[in-house]
Amino acid sequence: MYYFDHSATTPINPLVLELMTEVQKNTYGNPSSIHSAGREAKIIIEKARQEIANAINAEPFQIYFTSGGTESNNHVLWSLVSIKNAHIITNVIEHPAILKVLEYLEPHGLKNTLINVDKNGLVNLKDLESQITKETRLVSIMFANNEIGTIQPLRKINKIIKGKNILFHTDAVQCLGKIKVDVKELDVDFLSLSAHKFHGPKGIGILYVKNKKDISSLIIGGSQEGGLRGGTENVASIAGAGLAAKLSVKNLKENSKKLKDLKTFFIKELISFFPKIIINGDLIDSLPGLVNISFPGFRSDILLAKLDRVNIAVSSGTACGAGDVKPSPVLSAIGLDIKLNLSSLRFSFGSTNTMAEVKILLKELKIILNI
Amino acid sequence: MSRIVVGLSGGVDSAVSASLLLEQGYDVEAIFMKNWEDDSEYCTVEQDYKDALQVCDILKIPLRSVNFAKEYWDKVFQHFLEEYKLGRTPNPDILCNSEIKFKEFLQYSIELGAKKIATGHYVRTKNINGETQLLKGLDPNKDQSYFLHTLNQNQLSQSLFPIGTLDKSEVRIHAEKKGFTNFNKKDSVGICFIGERNFKDFLKKYIPAKPGFIIDELSNVIGQHDGLMYHTIGQRKGLRIGGGNGQSTDAWYVLDKDIENNQLIVGQGIKNTRLYKKNLNASSIHWINNRKPEVDQLSAKIRYRAADSLCTITALSKTKITIHFEKPQFAIAKGQSVVFYNNEVCLGGAIITSSY
Repeated sequence: MYYFDHSATTPINPLVLELMTEVQKNTYGNPSSIHSAGREAKIIIEKARQEIANAINAEPFQIYFTSGGTESNNHVLWSLVSIKNAHIITNVIEHPAILKVLEYLEPHGLKNTLINVDKNGLVNLKDLESQITKETRLVSIMFANNEIGTIQPLRKINKIIKGKNILFHTDAVQCLGKIKVDVKELDVDFLSLSAHKFHGPKGIGILYVKNKKDISSLIIGGSQEGGLRGGTENVASIAGAGLAAKLSVKNLKENSKKLKDLKTFFIKELISFFPKIIINGDLIDSLPGLVNISFPGFRSDILLAKLDRVNIAVSSGTACGAGDVKPSPVLSAIGLDIKLNLSSLRFSFGSTNTMAEVKILLKELKIILNI
Repeated sequence: MSRIVVGLSGGVDSAVSASLLLEQGYDVEAIFMKNWEDDSEYCTVEQDYKDALQVCDILKIPLRSVNFAKEYWDKVFQHFLEEYKLGRTPNPDILCNSEIKFKEFLQYSIELGAKKIATGHYVRTKNINGETQLLKGLDPNKDQSYFLHTLNQNQLSQSLFPIGTLDKSEVRIHAEKKGFTNFNKKDSVGICFIGERNFKDFLKKYIPAKPGFIIDELSNVIGQHDGLMYHTIGQRKGLRIGGGNGQSTDAWYVLDKDIENNQLIVGQGIKNTRLYKKNLNASSIHWINNRKPEVDQLSAKIRYRAADSLCTITALSKTKITIHFEKPQFAIAKGQSVVFYNNEVCLGGAIITSSY
């Protein structure tokens, strides 16, 4: 399998798997129990919490474990429902884990404004500024887009909202291990992560919360996770998430450079035999390993199927329940017409990819594109 | 061996079709078509997809999906609505075959490198003198040639129907032996995108209903209807006419629709002569081999479940024909298709415009 779909999910790091297997096997205690088996489990969780905190320059008490990026986002948004007339500003190319939630919460009294993006996917800052009202309680702008890789100017956004009593959330699910994620530097109030995007296990996410007073509980029950999320912890997955975070930031610079090199090489070679391609998103403010490309005159679902036949995994548009390809709202938002939209593929490289693999991808694309 | 793309619906018929092709040595790939976007509880697409996935897992063949919802909406559903607005009874499944399954899906599969496509329809094909004939499926209860009569030579010659020689029960046995979880899945009935939901509620979402009067043959007003589009000729249920209104205790039937006056004309008893017509006019004529047939024994069906009935054809013009049946036909509905046969060979058909 030649896997170039790391923005969908990543293969688990073998060291992470090893740790998880060991924890799952040996540490069966309930972290809330007072006996030694319970304490042992508790220690594992707190160690992981420290590892996550270290990875994003936070304090351990600011780290909350969730079931994934979607839950982390939901947690922040649901938290505002109890505030009367609360208003949220976000943008049109957010993940459905933001947009669908806001759509759902609207009849429950949570107002929202969606800011447009330019042709590269960058949020219009003037628009954002002009949409702030005295009821605006939260601005939620993703760190990097999952489909086109565009990195948003979070620090500039922060300057705009500073001193206005507005909380700032960012969905950074695509970022850890690829670009620097430093909550102090970004100065955000909330930040969402998902372990399976950085070679950790699926089903475990992280929510960074700067001040606990700014958020309410999502899952009511036991007193786990500071009472914000009741329920016995997924000890092995939490351990895995902690180690995965630690490993993914350890070699951030080299990793990032490797991903960038793979992407640069891929684009350069692709253009050399198929110059008609269109690159969607920002070339500079972009995730190192991700590129979204339109192939004019080709259907993305056909390209996907033909690549799948030779064991190459890439992705297109928005995946949904029945595996069919639909036009991507993100690509529409940056101005692609429906035809070009349905001619687009996302290639997302990972740290385990090699140059040789990218060459195979190029060779197969050449055949499929009939050149 | 050449590559065949099977349209897998999640049902047992297409699943067994894929399995049979594999046994015949073909290189088989499966595609799940999504032709309708619907989040309602009636939409079975997710379960259907899971069933298809399970089948492909057993058969070890790849399953991919394609979305033709826009094409279906533009080419099939719009026409369906237009026809209902005009008070006719269209057959969208026939249009879906000629416009989506055997056009969009066929083109798509060829583009994917398929030699031919295959579906789980109960029909057969036969090559004679360079022509491809469409034959009825061997299971008399399941024969689906009625729905495929608008296909042309190009479409038929690129299509395989692996279960056309089987009975439904044989298909289910094959599926059970293979371990397909859908082996006893209920047959889909009615119009695919409406599914199990109430037809009236569904239609109401798209076409404003115009209530009007129900009159008997002597123009006495005996009830009210919610909209002519909810009714079709020969319909007996759902008229809500009280028993005391009639001359007898016989059931009421829809005899005709007066579109101009928005009135539904009803009469009593299944033997009412206005329910039976021997002649009909039809347009949108299609002959599978491109020629008007010259056969001794021409018969036709006026709806899917009707029996074949002997008839003759006179051409009114290039685009219009009149069909004369030997015996009167029950409840000929405008908008339905009349499909012609010479014994087991399906010759083509046309759309009914009027009857007398």
